[in-house]
Order: sequence, then structure tokens, then C-alpha cells
Amino acid sequence: MKLNAKDIAAGTFLILLAAVGLWLNQDHSLGTARRMGPGYMPMLVFWIQMGLGGIVLLYAFFNGPDPLEKWTGIETGTLALGVIAGTIAWKVAPVFGEFFASTYNAIGVGMLVGFLVICFAAGWRLIGYICAAMCVFALLLEKGGLMLALVGTIVVSALAEPEHRQRPLGVLGMTIFLLALCWWIFIKQLDIRVAVWPQF
Amino acid sequence: MDTIANLAHGFAVALSFDNLLFALIGALIGTAIGVLPGIGPVATISLLLPITFGQPATTAIIMLAGIYYGAQYGGSTTAILLNLPGEISSVVTTLEGYKMARNGRAGAALATSAIGSFFAGTVATILVAASGPLLTQVALSFGPADYFSLMLLGLIISAVLAQGSVLKSVAMVVLGVALGLVGTDVQTGQQRFTFGIPELSDGIGFVSVAMGMFGIAEIILNLEKPEARSVLKTKVGSLWLTKEEWRRATPAVLRGTVVGSVLGILPGGGAALAAFGAYMMERKVSKGRHMFGQGAIEGVAGPEAANNAAAQTSFIPLLTLGIPANAVMALMVGALIIQGIQPGPRMVEAQPDLFWGLIASMWIGNLMLLVINLPMIGMWVKLLQVPYKFLYPSILVFCCIGVYSLNNNVFDVYMTVLFAIFGYMCNKLKMEPAPLLIGFVLGPMMEEHLRRAMLLSRGDPMVFLERPISASMLAIGAIALGAMMLPNLRKGKEAAMAG
Repeated sequence: MKLNAKDIAAGTFLILLAAVGLWLNQDHSLGTARRMGPGYMPMLVFWIQMGLGGIVLLYAFFNGPDPLEKWTGIETGTLALGVIAGTIAWKVAPVFGEFFASTYNAIGVGMLVGFLVICFAAGWRLIGYICAAMCVFALLLEKGGLMLALVGTIVVSALAEPEHRQRPLGVLGMTIFLLALCWWIFIKQLDIRVAVWPQF
Repeated sequence: MDTIANLAHGFAVALSFDNLLFALIGALIGTAIGVLPGIGPVATISLLLPITFGQPATTAIIMLAGIYYGAQYGGSTTAILLNLPGEISSVVTTLEGYKMARNGRAGAALATSAIGSFFAGTVATILVAASGPLLTQVALSFGPADYFSLMLLGLIISAVLAQGSVLKSVAMVVLGVALGLVGTDVQTGQQRFTFGIPELSDGIGFVSVAMGMFGIAEIILNLEKPEARSVLKTKVGSLWLTKEEWRRATPAVLRGTVVGSVLGILPGGGAALAAFGAYMMERKVSKGRHMFGQGAIEGVAGPEAANNAAAQTSFIPLLTLGIPANAVMALMVGALIIQGIQPGPRMVEAQPDLFWGLIASMWIGNLMLLVINLPMIGMWVKLLQVPYKFLYPSILVFCCIGVYSLNNNVFDVYMTVLFAIFGYMCNKLKMEPAPLLIGFVLGPMMEEHLRRAMLLSRGDPMVFLERPISASMLAIGAIALGAMMLPNLRKGKEAAMAG
């Protein structure tokens, strides 16, 4: 067998997404070919996507071998744990006060928790810390102001690179430099509408 | 001549202080990211898109265009000096350029690349100026059916010419079109696939998709690879070419300009494909082909001229038809739409400042790049000493601030995170993100034209085959798809892509 695991995953993904799309599309009226309703184009697109996914899947049995990177037990485990912990954090967060209940902060907390949990596995560390850094930015920006949000983002993203962990002074220097740079570009020059310092 | 009067007007626009300044800023940023491996024009332009929001449309496009062709100049510097391509489009330059540097002719290689690029840029700019109004006239006679077929052709060719499997690239295009469906249906006002999220009623944010899949996902992928930075060992040496080198480089530049101009116009083409095409051509036809592999100047002159020519001519389909030829042009469509300008054949008439000003600024920008690159080469080489571990947090915070300031909404930041994960996954599954972006931009326009065409034809799909323009577009698309099924051609493409 010349299994192409990458293509099997890709084909399955395309088919599943198309199936979900077609299922959701039941809410939209199709109309006729002459007067197409809102559901006509989605129907065409998702059927084509399903067909293509099927062909990708079919070819995957012959054009390999192209295996996926092996996931270790820890990687699979932390991924599952991250999803569960993130979902719980998302649902529980609003209890902790008004801040966590407003806008997208609850889901932000959920995503942050999830990303930090998967960082326990070495293979997920990069994607985990980088995505977590972005969530920190989104969570801190509106209440904590731009400066605090930047500090949080830079520190969390620096965790992704092992060399930074051994040299915290380098991170400090980089943080100060980037704070000054961002202040100069975005506040002084471009004047974007955002709080600079914490709001209480 | 009308064109000359228009060009004069264009130069008047491009020579205004703001436009000159931002052309220079664009060229400088472009050279910088061209020199730095690990960040390309797609990521940079998507990063800067939100910042252009407050600028006049012409100034914004002039700056973004400068980044794209500036990157073609910068990419060759590291390719020649360090055997490290700063951009995909300069991969082939490493083959002969680095050999020349080892032979002590680094200066000559750099000069050839800069002068060749400038010459090709000039010719390609004239081509854009001459063909723009002409093609626009043709495009104005297009009906909805023709537009639909033209866009379909664009999508097919962009998938066929993308790297990797054609089948998966076509699937990525369709996936992009599917993502473009999210939002309010234009004709009935019904919400589609928005899950009741108000932020999605205008569709998924274009910047989130581009920045997530190209900017953030690329950071993660770059961090996975151990850093490979070599120190500059070769001396640059004299920038002057010998008589013999001039004689050999000139025809190669001319050939490269032609190849690049043609491949740039093709949907899915662009700078990288043009450079590969020109390299293959030089290896077959140039007088110095027996010298290839030992530092043949033709192998630098041809591809470098071609990638810059293509970077300019890929604006032709965008400016005349409103159809993006590659991922960078898809971002330009996004920039225009943010500015409230619908790209298409009416742009030349409705926005003469933008059209002619951009063309004039391209030439001025190329002239600036010649100066930026040749005498200041040492400064750019220094830039390479900034390690990636300090670079990536900077890119990340710029992405965060940029994507937030677009709508002043943190929702967009979370959306970008999701697309970063999706982009990372696509890379692991060898699915190309560029065709997805083009499908995402063209999808909504295609739906509109499809519905209009079917309404006009009273529901008869034969209209796509009855109109000659539409029928020929579909025929070309079918041939292109069919041709890729032939094993010989596919192997040729794979060889060209692998360099």
C-alpha cells in the first residue's frame, strides 16, 4: 500500500467541511437557476468541494507514501486536555465578573487556557505560545491599555524560543525597544484609537 | 497622444511630496523584507493593510506596490552574497549568483541584478501604461457571463500554476470561495453561515485570513526550522561589469524581460514563476549555457530581470479587469475595497489619479531601488545580523495592533488566531494557502456575476457557452486543467518549481 496520510487527512477535512456546509445551508432558500436564492451558490460550492475532497481521498490510496508527523502520546493527550480545559474555562469565565462576561473575553480566556495547556507538549509549544500571546493581547488591550497588552504579548511569545528563556535581559531590552517603537508608530504617527495606559 | 498626457498627469501625481515619500518607504520596507528570509511580501502587505486605512487610496497603493517590487530587488542581495534566497522568486538566483560571488564577482552579480531589474521594470511599466487603457476598453464590453468565466479561468490557472498538487490547489480555491460565502447575501439580505455573530455579517475579515495564514502561521513554521544564518564571507568587490560580462548579460536581460512580462500577466503567475521560467530558458538558449553551474552571468541577469518584470505586469489584470493574478494582488484588491474602490475596468476612468499615478510611481520606485540597492548594499547586509528571535515578536505585535485597529474590535484578533492554526494545518497537509486567498477574494464577485448572468439568460446555463468571450475563457481553462493531467507536463512543472 502506498498510503498518503497527508492527502487522506486533507480529503477527509474537505469532505467533512462540505458536509457541515451543506447541512447549514438547509436554512437558506435555493431559488431557481433563473432567480438564485441565497442558498444556491453555497449548494454548488459545497457539492464541488465534496467531490474534490472525494477525489483527493481516492488518490491518497495510490500516490503515497507521505506519512504525517508522528504524534507522541503527550501531544495527543495535551491536545484533548487543552480542548476540554479551554471549553470549561470559556463556559466558567463569565462567573468571575463583568469583564469576563462582556464581548469576546470569555472565549478569549477559553482559547488562552487551551493554548497554554497544549504548551506542555514539546511539539505544540511554538503554536501554543504564539497563539496564546495573541489571546493575551486581545484580552488586555481594552482594559489594560496598549502598553500592558504589548508587554504581555512579547513576554508570552518569547517563551516560544528557548534562547529567550535563558537570557531574560534580552527579552527586557526587546520589550522596551518594541514599546517605544509601537508608541512612536501607532500612537504618535498614526494615532490609532486605543487606550495607551490601563483604564480603571 | 492621450497616453502621454495621461502619463504626464501620472507623474504629477506620483511626484507629490506624500506619494514620493510613501513610494520610498514602500521601496525601503520591500528591500528590507526581501533581504530578510522568513518574511515575504504577502505577510508584510497584509500587516500594513490596516495602517493604509487612513491614507488616500493612491498613496496607499503606491506604498504597497513599492513593497512588492522592492522585495524582488532585496531578495537577490542575500541570494548572491549568502546563497540564501530572501524570497522564493530569488531561489534560482542563488544557483549562479552565489557561484559568481565565490569567483570574486559578487559586485558584478549584484550590479547585473539591479540594472537588469531596473531595465525590466521600466519596460514592464511602459507595457502596463500601454495595455491598461486598451484592455479596459475590451473589458467594458464584458457581460456578467464573460466576467464569471474570466474569473473561473483566473481561479483555474492560479490553481494549475501553484506549487504542489493541482488537485489540492483546486480544492483550496473552492475552499476559499466557500469561506467567501460567509456574511450577508447581497440580494436578499439574508445572513449566511454567520452563527448569529454580528461581526461576521460583513463576511470573514480579509485581513484576518491573510495575516493568519501568511503572517502568523509563517512565524510558527520559521521557528520550527533551526536558524540557518551564515556570515558574509565573500567580498562584494567592484560593481563594474567587464565588457565581456555586458555582452553576455544584455541579451539575457532582454529575454528575461519578455518571459517575465508574459508570465506576470497570467493568473497565478507572478515573480517566482517568472524567475524559474527565465532560468530554464537561459539554460537552454543562452550562449553561456555551458558555463552554467560555474557562475554564468546569464543565470543571474535573466531571472532577475524576469522577476521584476513580472512583479510589475501582474498589476495589469488587477488594474484593467479587477482580477488578482496572485496572492499579493489579492491583497491589493483588499486594500482597494477597504478604500471604497471597486477594482475593475471602470477604475481607469473613475480613478485616473490612482491608475496613472501608480504607473508613474512604479518607474520612480524602480529608480529609487537602483540607488537604494547598489551604493547602500552594506547596510542591507548588516540587517541580516538581526536574529529571528528578535524579529518574530516584532512581527507578532505589529500583526496584533494592525488587525485590531482595522475595526477596533478584538474579535478580529481571535479570528486571526483561528486562521493561523488553519494555515499551520494546511502547511502540514501540503495544501497551498495562496489559491485559497485568491478564491476568497474572487468568490463573492463570482456569485454576483453568476446570478446576474443566469437572470439575464432566464435560467439557461448555455449562456456561458454561447457568448464567444465566455466560451473561449472556459475552453482555455479546460485545456489548462487537461494539460496538467498529462504526466510529461506535470513533471516539467515540478522540475521548474524545484528549481
